[in-house]
Amino acid sequence: MEIIKTAGLTKNFKRFKKQAGMIGSIKGLIRREYEEKQAIGNLDLTIQEGEFVGLIGPNGAGKTTLVKMLTGIIAPTCGSVSVLGYYPNDLEHEFKQQYAVVMGQKSQLFFELTVEDTLRLFKEIYGLPEEEYESSRDYFVKLFQVQDLMHVQVRTLSLGERMKMELIAALLHNPKIIFLDEPTIGLDAVASKQIRGFLAEINERRGTTIILTSHYMEDIKALCKRSIVINHGCKIYDGDTEKLFERFQKFKKITFTFSEPTLLPNLEFDARILEQTPYKKVIMVPKENAAGLLRELMNLLPTDITVEEEEIGTIVERIYQEGGDGLA
Amino acid sequence: MGLRKYLEILKIFIKTQLAWRGDSVIQILFSLTKILFASLLWGTIFAGRDEVAGFTLSSMMSYYIISSFLTQLDMSSKVSMEISQRIRNGTFSKYMVLPVNIQGYFVAMEMGMVLFHLIIYFITSVIWIFVFRIKFVFTPDPAIVAGIGILILLGLFFMAQLNYYLGLLTLKYEEIGLFLMIKDNLVAFVTGSIIPLTLLPEHFLWIMKAFPFYYVTYLPSMLLIGRLKGELGMGLLALSCWCVVLQAVIHVTWQNYRIKYDGVGI
Repeated sequence: MEIIKTAGLTKNFKRFKKQAGMIGSIKGLIRREYEEKQAIGNLDLTIQEGEFVGLIGPNGAGKTTLVKMLTGIIAPTCGSVSVLGYYPNDLEHEFKQQYAVVMGQKSQLFFELTVEDTLRLFKEIYGLPEEEYESSRDYFVKLFQVQDLMHVQVRTLSLGERMKMELIAALLHNPKIIFLDEPTIGLDAVASKQIRGFLAEINERRGTTIILTSHYMEDIKALCKRSIVINHGCKIYDGDTEKLFERFQKFKKITFTFSEPTLLPNLEFDARILEQTPYKKVIMVPKENAAGLLRELMNLLPTDITVEEEEIGTIVERIYQEGGDGLA
Repeated sequence: MGLRKYLEILKIFIKTQLAWRGDSVIQILFSLTKILFASLLWGTIFAGRDEVAGFTLSSMMSYYIISSFLTQLDMSSKVSMEISQRIRNGTFSKYMVLPVNIQGYFVAMEMGMVLFHLIIYFITSVIWIFVFRIKFVFTPDPAIVAGIGILILLGLFFMAQLNYYLGLLTLKYEEIGLFLMIKDNLVAFVTGSIIPLTLLPEHFLWIMKAFPFYYVTYLPSMLLIGRLKGELGMGLLALSCWCVVLQAVIHVTWQNYRIKYDGVGI
């Protein structure tokens, strides 16, 4: 079932343009110049119920603008948008009752109070019966393992703990869709991994549709079967995440370890040596040549071989640079 | 069911106030300086005189304590500040994504803060009246007191509406500091919280009666010290009309300006 559908969705922003310096400021006071910037252009999108979709794009690509239009926070300039059958910017309570949005850098919690206080407020705002509230709260408190943190002031929580609480507050009313904008921003590897685990469970067990925006490709790769790449406000890729990374994964990094000092022969296969010691050789090779290189170097009788994919950051850089060419 | 969410918002803001104990103590002590200042000022003016413009020293001090009490109760400037700040930094969306009436949220927020301060200021006012042995002048008529209670509530609601409206203007004008400054100066003078308006020329008073601020602090204060009883009905009617008009203006403003919100910075 289609849960989100947009057609020709466009958002233009008007912004004040001012010359630098005092003279520029005075000129701006007398005569204002504005420029129009397209944040999202002619975007067609369909998302099915229960999907876990990643929104990828560099800063200023239009990801957050898209999320803001899908949640009704801002109105589109033109085009159509339907989320759960509603036009989001009508801001109907029945619509807002069915989704949640978590922005990593913004908080819905009251910093002076405890999480339990905020959750009680959300219980009333979403009109949850006491039993449903308690069972939902207990489920998430157990899942996120935050039993000891429910009665301490929010401002005393660490960033990772606070993000778990933000997620509990957002998920309490069992929304059909959850929009997550950089939920792991600033978190360490352990906390990020935990959050990823929780999100995967919520998507699988509760069937919640999740739209995830993140600069951390580990998040996208680990969670989202489908990815949408946006750049300069346009969709440049919409499809399988594995295929996306596979396509832009151009090299393999192969590490050979030897028991005795070993010299490498002249390498073919467009291979490039990254690191070399008498006992260890690290070589980068185009992925289609990896098998050939391996066959050749097996003759040197290595004691250990490791084949690694390229660093995710390098792949992402490539996606943004080359992504527009015939992918969409 | 609908009202329960606003009651919970109200409770949350009482709890928020309670979290800052130091603030509460300072507020209690600060109210002392105001009463000390008023005693000195009016004591000097009344030196050698029994009455000034129909006020005795006791009735003037009673007026001052009541009008200060009512002025301090009005927390609505926080509403415009919060809205303006959040629209400017792009976090107003915090309220837009919740299934609540945003104005209702802010009215409940103000009521929560008012209730907390009502208790604090009431206790401190009673203490200072007792400590300074002020002969407090107060209307004995319970029906009038009940009417004044409604007038005060309407006044607080009107101020919350006004500040909500001014906050919304950020959607169009981005910077509303000038509007807030005009409002604050107007309110400080026109509500009569500085001096009783009866000390001003008669025609000025008639002009003031056309505006809602006259009924927010000045009229309830005068009614509570047993004066202007004949104006209660008119006050209730005038302030109700202003509330209705302002609510219509808010509705139109929100419908027209909310589409201008671009949520920058998030």
